[in-house]
Amino acid sequence: MRDGIETAKRGLPTVALVTEEFWPQGDFVARAAGMPDLPRLRLPHPVAGTGEEAMTELATEIADRLVDGLRATAASSR
Amino acid sequence: MTAVESQPGPTDALWAESDAEAVEWLHREGCTDGLPVVVPRPELVDRMVLASGVDADVSFGIMGPGGGETTMSKVAANAVMAGCTPDHLPVVIAAIQAMLRTEFDLGEMQGTTHCIAPLLVVNGPARRWSGLVSGFGALGPGHRANASIGRALRLCMINIGMARSGESDMALLGHGGKFTSCLAEAEELSPWAPQHTDHGYRPEQSAVTVIGTEPPHSVLFTGDADDPSSAERLLATLAAALANVGSNNVYFGGGGQVVILNPEHARVLADAGLDRSDVKHRLAAMAVRPLSELARFNPAFVPPPGDDPHRPRRAVRSPDDLLVVVAGGPGLYSAVMPSWAAGANMNTSVHAEIVTGQVCEVPQSNLESRFRPMR
Repeated sequence: MRDGIETAKRGLPTVALVTEEFWPQGDFVARAAGMPDLPRLRLPHPVAGTGEEAMTELATEIADRLVDGLRATAASSR
Repeated sequence: MTAVESQPGPTDALWAESDAEAVEWLHREGCTDGLPVVVPRPELVDRMVLASGVDADVSFGIMGPGGGETTMSKVAANAVMAGCTPDHLPVVIAAIQAMLRTEFDLGEMQGTTHCIAPLLVVNGPARRWSGLVSGFGALGPGHRANASIGRALRLCMINIGMARSGESDMALLGHGGKFTSCLAEAEELSPWAPQHTDHGYRPEQSAVTVIGTEPPHSVLFTGDADDPSSAERLLATLAAALANVGSNNVYFGGGGQVVILNPEHARVLADAGLDRSDVKHRLAAMAVRPLSELARFNPAFVPPPGDDPHRPRRAVRSPDDLLVVVAGGPGLYSAVMPSWAAGANMNTSVHAEIVTGQVCEVPQSNLESRFRPMR
């Protein structure tokens, strides 16, 4: 979440990827940074270490939502 | 950073029918460490602020991860909750000042999944008049100053830094050191100068050194006066603990670590002609593992070997990254405290002078008082 905040602060279209177990921390960090509405996608936990096949499947599943989110933040910043 | 909007903080006035009801409220709102606290009644907090000699509104800085303003009144409220007396306050204040230094990365340290917790090491005359213990059980239960001062810092981290398990303090398991972790160095039993002189203090100054650490790893060692290799064996044992393959340091190639030598073990090294600087240099050189060995355990955290798969990976990047402290009872066991070895400043130690001149005498009252006149 912190990475997403840093890129968003630099004016780049941003969607943070946050896994289920860290979703509450994502909310906390976004609020603490004054960016409670920073776009984020909720992923199952864990992602790291689940192997290439599982990660490819997940990436395929969220790709459209991710691109839509990036387009939306790019549009709203104009 | 804007402060997290949340329930009333410790400087808002709250009302309860009784102390017991107040404690229940504090538990429910997540303002405790899970153990009972002393209710921060206004008169107790005011007394603590008065005794500090620091104005209530003075801010020491912003505390992460929640971004709370660290005012003297909030620190005093948490010190009261922790069971501190005014004698403890100068140490608490110095530790807060040290921990809020940018290079300590407190916000990030609070939020990591690693079990890291700040350790406070106190040197100088402050040890005596605050009642801090450096001998048997210095990191264990039963010593009021050690327990209360460490706990005051933790309650500040909870109530000002807004660290809550699973939400903003993501330590996967946590441990007892996250309740309190504070000791004095056993300067009188140390064969060397007090460890805060390594940071530029004079021995007669008081200072607190703070570093994020894992809990202590016990290190077993028995010397033998007839064995000239005793000191080398002790160094090798400590080094193996510093470079242990379960801790982050050897994978990340550095980060602060703490070595707590009991007075007997310190004597073994001193009798071999080593001073603390020698000990730090030797340990830094010896605390290594070949990349090929590390790759057996956690290849994801091992840098590419390049030409030499047996290239040693250092667990201690520089001798200055080590704290070597003499404490504990004499005997078989010393301790090593590895660390998170991460954050922008790679888990460096910080320190601050303990200033006692500001502390004032607190007038006795008719109420039963825990406070003693200041020296």
